[in-house]
Amino acid sequence: MTYCESSRSSLNLMLDKRFIIVSGKGGVGKSAVTAAIAKSAAHAGRKTLALSMVGSGMGLGAHLGQTALAFRPQQTEPNLHALAIDQAMALVEYLQIQVGLPSYAMFTPAVKAFDVLASTAPAIREIVTMGKVLWEVKTGHWDLVVVDGPPTGQIGSYLGAATTMASLVTTGRVADQAKWMREIQMDPDASELVLVSVPEELPTSETIETLEWLDAHPVIGSRSLFANRVLSPLESDAVGTGVAADAAGLHRSLTSEQAIWLERLPTHVELPFLFGVDSATTVADHLADSMSAVLT
Amino acid sequence: MTAAILVTGGGGVGKTTVSAAIAVTAARRGLETLVLTVDPARRLAGALGIAELGAEPSKVAEEPLLWAAMLDATSSWEAIARRHADPAVADRLVNNDLFAAATGQFPASQSYAAAEEATRFVKDGRWDLVVVDTPPSAGGIEFFTAPANMTDLIGGRLLRWLTGGKMPGRRFFFDRAARPAIRIADAVLGAGLFERVAQFLMDLRTTYDGIAASSKEIEGVLSTAQTLIVTTADPTPMREAIRFFRDLPANAQHPTSVIFNRSLPVAWVGARTADQDDELAANLARWSLESARQQRLRSQFSDRYSTEITTIDWKPTAPTDLDSLEALLTTAGGYSLENLWD
Repeated sequence: MTYCESSRSSLNLMLDKRFIIVSGKGGVGKSAVTAAIAKSAAHAGRKTLALSMVGSGMGLGAHLGQTALAFRPQQTEPNLHALAIDQAMALVEYLQIQVGLPSYAMFTPAVKAFDVLASTAPAIREIVTMGKVLWEVKTGHWDLVVVDGPPTGQIGSYLGAATTMASLVTTGRVADQAKWMREIQMDPDASELVLVSVPEELPTSETIETLEWLDAHPVIGSRSLFANRVLSPLESDAVGTGVAADAAGLHRSLTSEQAIWLERLPTHVELPFLFGVDSATTVADHLADSMSAVLT
Repeated sequence: MTAAILVTGGGGVGKTTVSAAIAVTAARRGLETLVLTVDPARRLAGALGIAELGAEPSKVAEEPLLWAAMLDATSSWEAIARRHADPAVADRLVNNDLFAAATGQFPASQSYAAAEEATRFVKDGRWDLVVVDTPPSAGGIEFFTAPANMTDLIGGRLLRWLTGGKMPGRRFFFDRAARPAIRIADAVLGAGLFERVAQFLMDLRTTYDGIAASSKEIEGVLSTAQTLIVTTADPTPMREAIRFFRDLPANAQHPTSVIFNRSLPVAWVGARTADQDDELAANLARWSLESARQQRLRSQFSDRYSTEITTIDWKPTAPTDLDSLEALLTTAGGYSLENLWD
């Protein structure tokens, strides 16, 4: 069984999308991959927005050379802007733009109270956040929106929010919104989910579970898979002496362990383990270079 | 008296494995030990000799003093609802289709469930030591703030304001339809769903007294427990570790040690070889750079946050039995984790 709808021969095919959402188990390098895709698109001349969807946005910000990201887009390099979604502000914006609520209703306790309800009812928080994300896609202000998305454990509820909402509410503005959100998400030429994994037991099994869930629940137009922090096997059989032997020993055990998990991952693109790199921006630049090397 | 060790840290750093290693070692030093985990890898469960871990502690077959249990947020919540609500209300709560969604989604819920269960086992008195592998949210801070957040959420001004009054009746709730919050909710959720949400929240409020009392007890246990942070030298878990120190919760102990998992030998820093296979020399040079990076990061971290550091070697494969779990601790460098119970 093949999990990728289309086998990808070039990075351009991916960067021609309008919406790319990146997910993966926590700690696999999701933010770094998001930043690398965004930088690649910007270098290719695409007007790009990098967006952090959950959490503080500090991870994505660091890879783009920023100490923090704000709710308003800020330029980080030519062709590239970045923002982090603030849940409370996204909610206010959502209620005004999507629900059409007048601003007098926007006093803080009302929004906070809604927040409690939103935490309880299924799909509300997700649809507010996804609504903001896809709104940035829909406005046409950007050629490409690249999203540092939720971890794989939550990706289904975010990508499925529009469908869930459509089944709960059949008429009115929210139903309309669910409809256009679904149309963008399901367009294979416009939208792509990028799953990031690393060749270890838990990330691999979580990735495979996510892919199986996606097979059963069509919520995104296309998808692709990156394996991050992959070590290249040594060619030499030499044993060596002293610390060189120790380092070769560790490297060989790690590559044979990685091989087990890479074998289980469906068709994927491999990104290298980076040795001794301190700076987050350098990590993103190296990954962007690797992407253009393997994908063109 | 039962001692507690709270093992915090980001996801994917080997927190569950380190918790198990601490528990195995403590049990082998003669302490009746329970390890409470949130998400064991199948191979780790195998290493402990347990096929299926349940919410109630089960004995580890090969290790006389070692017990293990696994927390499942939804089933813990069912137990919590049944402990704190009238039987009829508890039935209605757990059968409400919003229950699973809400208990999985309240930001503090999984942490609260874990903290309440951990407290229950600490108070039980059956064990000398309870090792808690905490849920990986918000760098472990949420585990400490969960009791206050839960009490706030269920009994706070917000919900009281929303539901109107002390213990509201249904009519009171819906009569206030002019309230903007209710109007917003109604517009977005639709009336049917909104009614279910409202019923759910009102039922939840009846658990307030029980949860408030529990929270006090939980805070007591948390504030006396030793805490550990597990991290790797990768950016995401490092940010979470830094956050724990920066926003150290008032009811948490200063971490006893920060455990750097997947550490490379310090002897590799600056190592060069003469007279060897070119590829092996290049390989050593790369790993040497990585080892140097790890060491820089660790010393920056211990200087800045004045903390003990423990290093656990980078093992290519996960531990497959009790001996290899114990070996993680006996071969560790820096601050010895055996001090935890000495």
